[in-house]
Amino acid sequence: MSDTPEERMDVSMSINGRTYRANIEVRKTLADFIRDDAHLSGTKLGCEHGVCGACTVLLNDSPARSCLTLAVQANGDQVRTVESLSDGHDLSPLQQAFREQHGLQCGFCTAGILMSASALLEENPHPTRGDIVDTVSGSLCRCTGYQTIIAAIEQAAAESVHDSSSTEDD
Amino acid sequence: MQTIKTHQHMTTPVIAARSVGSRVLRSEDPRLLSGRGEFIADIDLPGQLHVAFVRSPVAHARITHMDLSGVRDCEGVHLAWSGDDVLPFCEGIVGEFAVEGCNPTTMPLLARGEVVYVGEPIAVVVAESRYAAEDACELIDWEFEELPAVTDAHASLAVLNVANSQLPNNLGLKGGGSFGDVAGAFERADKVVEGRYYTGRVSASPMETRGVIAKYGWASKSVQVWSNTQMPHFLRYMLTAYLGFAEQDVEVITPDTGGGFGQKAHVYPEELILPLLSREVDCPVKWIEDRRENLMAAAHAHEQFIDIAYALDNDGRITGVRTHALGDGGAYHAPPWTMAVEPWCAVVMTPTGIYAAPTAEYTYTAVATNKTPVGAYRGVGYMAGTLARECLADDAARALGLSPFDFRRLNVVREFPWTNPQGIVYDEGSWLESIDVVEQMVDYPAFLQRQSELRKKGRYLGLGLSVFVESSGESTATSLEHGLGDVYHDTATVRLGPNGTANVAIGLSAQGQGLATTVAQMAADTLGINVEDVSVDTARSTAHAYGSGTLGSRGAVIASGAVARAAGVIREKVRAVAASMLEASPDDIELVDGQAMIKGVSSSSVSVADVATAIYFDIDSWPDDFEPSLEATQAYDTSRAMFSNGAHAIVVELDPETGFIRFENVYSVEDCGTVINPNIVEGQIRGGVVQGIGASAFEELAYDESGQLLTTTFLDYGLPTMDVVPPFVIHHIETPSKHSAAGVKGMGESGLIAAPAAVLNAVNDALSPFGVVLRDLPLTPEKVLAAMAGGVITTSAPTAEAVGEDRPK
Repeated sequence: MSDTPEERMDVSMSINGRTYRANIEVRKTLADFIRDDAHLSGTKLGCEHGVCGACTVLLNDSPARSCLTLAVQANGDQVRTVESLSDGHDLSPLQQAFREQHGLQCGFCTAGILMSASALLEENPHPTRGDIVDTVSGSLCRCTGYQTIIAAIEQAAAESVHDSSSTEDD
Repeated sequence: MQTIKTHQHMTTPVIAARSVGSRVLRSEDPRLLSGRGEFIADIDLPGQLHVAFVRSPVAHARITHMDLSGVRDCEGVHLAWSGDDVLPFCEGIVGEFAVEGCNPTTMPLLARGEVVYVGEPIAVVVAESRYAAEDACELIDWEFEELPAVTDAHASLAVLNVANSQLPNNLGLKGGGSFGDVAGAFERADKVVEGRYYTGRVSASPMETRGVIAKYGWASKSVQVWSNTQMPHFLRYMLTAYLGFAEQDVEVITPDTGGGFGQKAHVYPEELILPLLSREVDCPVKWIEDRRENLMAAAHAHEQFIDIAYALDNDGRITGVRTHALGDGGAYHAPPWTMAVEPWCAVVMTPTGIYAAPTAEYTYTAVATNKTPVGAYRGVGYMAGTLARECLADDAARALGLSPFDFRRLNVVREFPWTNPQGIVYDEGSWLESIDVVEQMVDYPAFLQRQSELRKKGRYLGLGLSVFVESSGESTATSLEHGLGDVYHDTATVRLGPNGTANVAIGLSAQGQGLATTVAQMAADTLGINVEDVSVDTARSTAHAYGSGTLGSRGAVIASGAVARAAGVIREKVRAVAASMLEASPDDIELVDGQAMIKGVSSSSVSVADVATAIYFDIDSWPDDFEPSLEATQAYDTSRAMFSNGAHAIVVELDPETGFIRFENVYSVEDCGTVINPNIVEGQIRGGVVQGIGASAFEELAYDESGQLLTTTFLDYGLPTMDVVPPFVIHHIETPSKHSAAGVKGMGESGLIAAPAAVLNAVNDALSPFGVVLRDLPLTPEKVLAAMAGGVITTSAPTAEAVGEDRPK
């Protein structure tokens, strides 16, 4: 049943700069492709209905619910997941801000929130509190009560302002 | 009241606080922030197959036909079982509570004959992939004859229909108690205030759903079960008791867990079926619950009606309290806590709260309905009981013309220890201070002025207060204090290596609380080393330390107590060798900041690392008869029940156009004794309060009259989102316990316990110009709008149909 030609397709996409190719069922979600085929398990599935935001990845630099996106829709695209945020040695400034502000507890929703926040900061390095709340209200967190997440994103934005201004000073 | 002897494992060493009390950043975070956490869905075993369940689409029915041959013929399917197939291995999980008046139930692993709630598992499929397993589930051929569904607790009580044939009178639990001359107090009362409060049906909804992986090895007869349970050791015991696996061959593994909040502190049918399936198909099998299943089949919470009354003397003092709780328990007792988890806990643990009520009386009743079983959720029973008590306190304050702060100050217990009418002893607390402090934090006179000015402009602000006391550090003593006989204790193992760094293992699984960080702080201070030099394994495997479960706000108290005791054994070894090296008496050696030094002589010291190295490699440094093991396992349990306390005040504004509640600010006072890590305590407060805001205003598991669950996605079941939650102001008071390591008390549940009362009181304060008082949760926009028009929409009043009266023709 599942190996009739029209039910399978070849896909190729870049995830965190590395190319992944596979012949997959067309109904396979992007989230399942990232987790099961690319073996990048940092992207979490919290509801599979597109509501909780835990599975948010950046698809060609825009936030996307990977549970509602089919893998074949991302054919030829660039995907970024939480694994791309740090350099393999240290946490990124955004991740470090989450740690310092206690912006996570169980960590299950965190990948999606970090990706939404990354997209926000890339597009708008100086977001207001309202911008942050508008952007991240699409992600559910059951542990933190959200305030420390807002504070973490504010801290990361402020530090990037500081960094860029100190560069200018130099 | 029965008390316990003080055993050896109930005392902890006195330590010098260095890292305890500081905002140590969590050791868990780098993994979790970089996508390197390992949650159960992230674990893939070679050769694994995938499991999906067929769940009942109807609330109550008799199964008349069941044929899985179509399922079994489906490509990729390895096995399909119905209730008949699983019966020879296990009849089901018994739910029974050890108090008078409990009628037990047996929850089958897969329903046979009768289904009793929407979401009950009726068949299970094992296939090559989850996709294939779910495809095959569609091919089940079954027929059923629908039976009347009982969906209302009052209708259940009237036994118009039977919800579950195991409980022919629908009663899961019924009992009560009376302490002191309650009848006299009410007869002599100058005033009686009373009300019926309703807490809606909610789901704990951890962001990570449940999951189980099982791997049976026929050659070794070994069973490994991965489960994101809060009770790995209890699950291991259940696997031996119900399935007959040999204890020495069973290991339960708990990976990183994405929140539990009590929902994962049960033993579920899925956890017992997976090991059987693995044995049958001779492959590892994996089941990850989807969100629809989680909202339908993981334990529900809270739904109960509480009738509460205060007798007041002419000074406004409470002279008696009567509490009657009726819980809608769902179709079975959820093992192991049972339907007692709400009504029994509510009436036994909460009616006096911080108030010096001299007499009390209560009854508890839990009835079966054709809904998902109700189980544990963060502060079992305490939320409903605190809601009723604290909202009635505001009713009493209004009736007496007192401010909510003054009514509470008039009645608060001022002398400790205090014994409540049931005989529960409260050793210490900052009950009065918490009222005073929160009143200052909100600047009450300024608030009243702002409220009054805004009312003139058609804006409706309200301030709600909720003052609480909660049992913490769930222990043998706590259980005895509440009239039960459960035995709790946990162990910890501490090992000091030759470089003077420590590895710690505790018996509690962690769900995101930061336990690995807090117990590292306790271990570091006990050993006198830096917290960065301690690594902690929470209960990743039952092969290590023992634990009674992460529940009842016991993690910080019990795990850190066990760690302090085990580290204390090592500390004495280090002191003995340091004394030998410094030619001093061990009694004069203190371990602090990485140094073993002679007290008061900082120049005479040796590093803890050098002492550890000497214990491993330099026999000449040892005193006579020295035993060099630097690994110790010790148990801990508290010798007495201990109670945290605090207060929340919440400011809201009602939108007269939409009925929406805007949450402006939360002011929280928390006294959990010595604070190990303020970041973590504050995180527990914020998260718990926001769950309380959810239960008060946004969340409701809704059923229709046929017992169909209408809220099976997060689109229908509304969790609080970032745009609706308020900022917090948090104040710590520290009244240490004399019976725990460093004086810590547990506080993981207080936010959810106490916030809903603050929300309801705030909304009622805002509604005061309309002459309406609401008593039912959740406070939906419909209810708020109706109240602003002078009406009340209530769940509490049973309909004529529900109580069996003829409807008016």
